[in-house]
Amino acid sequence: MKLFEFQGKSLFREYGLAVPQGRLCKKNETPDWSGPVVLKAQVLSGGRGRAGAVILCESEKERDAALEKLFSMTLKEEPVNAVLAEERVTILHEYYLSVAFDGEAGTPLIIVGASGGVDVERLAEEHPEQILKLPFDAVVGPLDSHFRKAARFAGASRPKEFAAALSGLYRLWRETHALLVEVNPLAETPGGFVALDAKVELDDDAEPLHRELFARLRVERAGVTGASPEPQGDTITCIPLDGDIGLISDGAGTGMLTLDLLRDHGGRAADFCEMGGTTSPEVMYAAMERVIDNPKVPKIRSLLIVLIGGFNRMDEMAQGIVRYVRDTGFHLPIVVRLCGTMEEEGKKIMREAGLPICDDLEQAVREAVGETGRRAGDVDSRQ
Amino acid sequence: MSILVNEATRVLVQGITGRSGSLQTKSLLDFGTRVVAGVTPGKGGQEVCGVPVFDFVDDAVRAAGGVDAAISFVPPLNARDAAIEAMDCGIRLLVLTMEGIPKRDVLEILSCARFRGARVLGPGTAGLIAPGKCKLGAHPTRMFIPGGVGIVSKSGALSYEIGKTLTEAGIGQSTVVALGGGPIWGMTQKDALALFNEDEETKAIVLLGEIGGNTEIDAAEYIARTPVKKPVVSLIVGRSAPEGKSLGHAGAIIRGGKGTARSKAEALERAGVKMAATPAEVVARLRELRL
Repeated sequence: MKLFEFQGKSLFREYGLAVPQGRLCKKNETPDWSGPVVLKAQVLSGGRGRAGAVILCESEKERDAALEKLFSMTLKEEPVNAVLAEERVTILHEYYLSVAFDGEAGTPLIIVGASGGVDVERLAEEHPEQILKLPFDAVVGPLDSHFRKAARFAGASRPKEFAAALSGLYRLWRETHALLVEVNPLAETPGGFVALDAKVELDDDAEPLHRELFARLRVERAGVTGASPEPQGDTITCIPLDGDIGLISDGAGTGMLTLDLLRDHGGRAADFCEMGGTTSPEVMYAAMERVIDNPKVPKIRSLLIVLIGGFNRMDEMAQGIVRYVRDTGFHLPIVVRLCGTMEEEGKKIMREAGLPICDDLEQAVREAVGETGRRAGDVDSRQ
Repeated sequence: MSILVNEATRVLVQGITGRSGSLQTKSLLDFGTRVVAGVTPGKGGQEVCGVPVFDFVDDAVRAAGGVDAAISFVPPLNARDAAIEAMDCGIRLLVLTMEGIPKRDVLEILSCARFRGARVLGPGTAGLIAPGKCKLGAHPTRMFIPGGVGIVSKSGALSYEIGKTLTEAGIGQSTVVALGGGPIWGMTQKDALALFNEDEETKAIVLLGEIGGNTEIDAAEYIARTPVKKPVVSLIVGRSAPEGKSLGHAGAIIRGGKGTARSKAEALERAGVKMAATPAEVVARLRELRL
């Protein structure tokens, strides 16, 4: 779960990281404060500064104009429903700090930048020497030498305070099972280090270990977005594309291979849908709904389902498909490649329902493309 | 030989009494894997498909007279303790099939594995199969025959797909390894390549990759700077994926020019790897090698 800045900052405060005094202002609320502030749109996407969603204002008049502007904005499809108003601080220097993990190396790491407020991904690519990555052991935790190295690299004039800020950030990362905690920038002010921004992403898989925290954050989030605070437990990924062949696979790898083969054979997928994890008839059914009844997915002319079962049982997949076709009277051409665990049982269920199946992936792709072509031809001849 | 496992490998199933644990135990036994014991806390004394169940790993190891590998179907929140318990009892190969283990727990498992010199496959992996010898995962048996091609894949399903294609073409496999979809990996493509490189039975290696992340680039660098004695054929899926969209696997995100199918194929080709665009081309590249 990605947190809004104001949520991240409240966690920072709990872990001893200083943040500017601030208050949240929701849409349609009348601000009961004045004076020089910085107003920051509360959205989950990055790049707010460049998008003009961070505004400095001196007077009440400027404040009202800025609020009106911010509340009319939509940033990367996210409407602005809340604004954080913060006191302005005197900045002597800015740094970048984060605790994250490198999945390919299988270790957590501290990342330090000697200058902050920058696009850190671009900086890492263009000037890797300006970023220090310090992997540490997940069980032991970062050592004193990690903190000292981080402070030396940053060139912090008050290394002990810098290390204390980093240590708080690490404890937050560890104790909340966060995937990422990032401060960009961490400002050095005459009074000490202050986190001017907060990017925190928690691990949804760790929710059972932090029920209260997650519940509180969901309610806060719902207060901003107006959406339901309930978690969405679903492993299905469905990404709309621009073709006309509906595609469902039981693995991302074979899904991508099928996407490639479809294009090679002159077809285009309307979506990329994979069921993820271990599935059931219900998930198969839900995946078909997600592709066929999804207003964001273009209208499909045929449906290609690619299944190769290891942990997934083909009898269960067949049950899901047959149930969907019966319930909805689905009438478009449907090509199902079904093989693997319990395939004999699965094939039998499909045969009894009068649904064709094939065993070879390329043949299935050719059939799906052919079906689409024929259907397109039918439509043309009627016009 | 094969890599990681062989016909003598004694296997422990953790979480053996659960729905997937018991179903998969049957499938492993049907294949011929030597499943010597199972563990589920509180279920000691039971049997699953004739395999004795214990409360603790050390009891299981003692009763079996030794265990070489453990495959785990333990629920995600108990996975860390189960994995570390297995390593504490001297088990040096773990296959973690579950998805949804908290990432901090995964990082701690991997840290413990480094300290103990254990190998971890996964999490979220379909496991591995050495056709005719040992299966430690979900690979559908009929899609694999013994032979000289080693396959390493992130995606389980893709490893079945290519195994099936090779088998139908009469090309057998030494070991087929699925690493898991990420976002954190124990064993990597590079680790598998190093093992295949030293395995006498493996005559050629098939490296299956996908868009996103950098592990294929790391693998290419490894091939370029190490004397890899075996020819490597590679297929990178997702070449037709639209840029900037994440397709399921957490690793499968294209960022700029990094991690695209093209950049990976180029790096691999520079390292001397023969590229294939489709499963049929993997077969063609392997036939060209005249092994």
